Amino acid sequence: MILGVDLGRHATVTVAVHGNVLTEVRVATGASGAVPVVTYPDGARRAPSATPRAAAVAVDMDGVRRAPVAAIRVAGPCPPGLGPMVGWPEDSGVATVVRGGHSLTGRPVAELDTAAVARFAAECGLTDFAVTATGSPVLPHHELAVAEIIADEVPGARITLSYEFGRAGLRERENSAILNAALGPQAAVIADRMIRDLPGVSVFFARTGAGLASTHYFRRYPLICYLGAFTCALRGGAALAGLDETAVQERGIIVRTGLVTGGKPRLGDRRDTFVPLNVRLPLVVSASEGIAVGPFARQAGPGWKVPEQAELAVAYGAALARPSVDVERIVQAKGRAELDRAIDEARDEALTRAVSAGAAPGSARVTDTIVNALSYLPDGLFRVEIRAEGAIM
Amino acid sequence: MNHQSAGKAPPKIDLTSFGAFAAGSQLFATGAAELSFHLASDWARSVLGEGVRVCRAADLPPRTLCAAVCLVGSSTALGERLPTGNEPVQVIRGLERRLGQEIGAVVALNLDAESALLPVITAALLDIPLVDGDGSGRVFPLLNQSTYTLGGVSVTPLVMAGPADDVVVLDTGPDRVEELIRPLVLALGGWTVTACYPMTAEVLARVVVPGTVSRLMEAGVPGAPRSIAAPYGVRTLCRGRIAAVETSTGHGMDLTLPSLPSSIVVEEKEGLGRLIRLEAHNEIVFALVDGAMAAMAPDQICMISTVDGMAVDVDKAVPGLEVEVMVVRAAPVWHTGEGVALGGLRAFGVPL
Repeated sequence: MILGVDLGRHATVTVAVHGNVLTEVRVATGASGAVPVVTYPDGARRAPSATPRAAAVAVDMDGVRRAPVAAIRVAGPCPPGLGPMVGWPEDSGVATVVRGGHSLTGRPVAELDTAAVARFAAECGLTDFAVTATGSPVLPHHELAVAEIIADEVPGARITLSYEFGRAGLRERENSAILNAALGPQAAVIADRMIRDLPGVSVFFARTGAGLASTHYFRRYPLICYLGAFTCALRGGAALAGLDETAVQERGIIVRTGLVTGGKPRLGDRRDTFVPLNVRLPLVVSASEGIAVGPFARQAGPGWKVPEQAELAVAYGAALARPSVDVERIVQAKGRAELDRAIDEARDEALTRAVSAGAAPGSARVTDTIVNALSYLPDGLFRVEIRAEGAIM
Repeated sequence: MNHQSAGKAPPKIDLTSFGAFAAGSQLFATGAAELSFHLASDWARSVLGEGVRVCRAADLPPRTLCAAVCLVGSSTALGERLPTGNEPVQVIRGLERRLGQEIGAVVALNLDAESALLPVITAALLDIPLVDGDGSGRVFPLLNQSTYTLGGVSVTPLVMAGPADDVVVLDTGPDRVEELIRPLVLALGGWTVTACYPMTAEVLARVVVPGTVSRLMEAGVPGAPRSIAAPYGVRTLCRGRIAAVETSTGHGMDLTLPSLPSSIVVEEKEGLGRLIRLEAHNEIVFALVDGAMAAMAPDQICMISTVDGMAVDVDKAVPGLEVEVMVVRAAPVWHTGEGVALGGLRAFGVPL
């Protein structure tokens, strides 16, 4: 049995799922006590019929409080409009640019200015750091070196390194790293609460797009769960209706519509986030028909079907997910053999990360391998994207 | 090409009108990586100041020296290795030193997404006017595929500047340019701002595709018809759903090819339910409708997503996506014998 938990903006909804079938349900307002007593669809309250193996928690992080962040960019000078934290609200933190970084071919652009890093870390007065170096999707050495300096200067610092959000595009990767760092403290609060409310159960969090991450992973990378609840509303709604291809409208405190194709939410680079990010999010579309879910599903217009238990879609969608990870790297390869070796390394890393995200070691497998040559770069540079997933232990 | 000598003066690109110009530059833009466009757009906004004067080539003093400015290289590299901000000034000053004469105006090579924005940035930084027009009327992958070349203007001498503060002056024959700049671009940091095609305003007025900057400013106003961005006409080949995307394995060719040939099959949703096959090498080169040739380079064939109205890059085409396949007619000079030789099927490696 797997529990699905919807940490909604208005209420917490918990469901139990046996072999993908919804069996038990409980709706509670706020965080009130431990989960193992459940209310069944017939209204009776009793202990669950089996001990849950795991719980999958769905939460949207776009509404939670963000902590101020100290952002360090390792790069050359740039025009005023392209600096770190441009576009962020005033109180988002402080930022600096220090010399260093690598070219796309892995050559150092400049020696890392370690003194400047130490000075900034010691004087900024913050403990949540985001570090972004030019070229880190190819070679993360300077980000790792900066992290060491911060750890020396600021005991207890929480540090996000941008290369862990691997895609090229310095500003978008930097924004992702800053947002991840800003969400960290609140993610820890949510994770602590779930562990307290669900004693003896392995707790996972729903990732944006697909899959689950362990609590440990969620604490470090809350950004990968940024729209976990919206993702689960899409997947859960389609599953409740028994459809693989449909639009799903979530009607909670927020109303939004996404697409499900091949049973998965359709993702894309969204332009409507408050700063440009490099994580793919479920696309928000306008559609006139499909499946409506959420507590206010019945208020959807004509054309929208409301499946039974539509108010449970997010929790159900969470319970259907499996641990998964994405790895994206830029590699330089002079021929097929070298490229294959680089792909193998990325696949190994994805499998290792899938296990650290909570997949049972024997169950982790690579589900997607995408290799694209980078246009208009003559020297054999490739973007390698790997997705791996596994079963809950 | 002086049909624009009558009519109202071209407008100014300032913080108010910039949004419409930037939106207009994306209407038929393919190969425009979102992040480099955002980057160029934020860069432009931060340097626009009082705004950039847009003027007709014919309105400049005839002996004014003009230069085309463009991005050469990888937009992925631009997004990762940010500009220092000096590159546009470095290339113009470099070209001035080489020619011993001051440059009085800049012009675009093409107006496709970030390529449209770099000349604006350059004009703003140097406080010189931007010429209302471009050297393409659409976009081609090679530096010498332009109406400037067709009009007899040499792409060289050209000056490139990259993010590592290097400046390279290239003094060579136009036929040697591509071979020389590809390896140079990587060494310079993966991308460069390039100033090329130095010519007087008098010559530019003869070889430019005129009025395209002001057209994009009109076309990018919300609600304006997309067709304004296509000065020589645009037609819809079909509306349909991408049924299949097939990519060549490369047949063991060199792995470093920027893009392998691919085919996109679109099923028409309405009307005759025809099957449209789009053949692409980096961009779509020709379109077959039920096996018959329906459109080809030098006209531009593009897919516009019906979900968000944005042009769909060839490498982002996926089965299931609903698209409108549109054909933008190239400027008349591209339909001459020389134009077809420079920008037609053979130029894309299709021996038809």
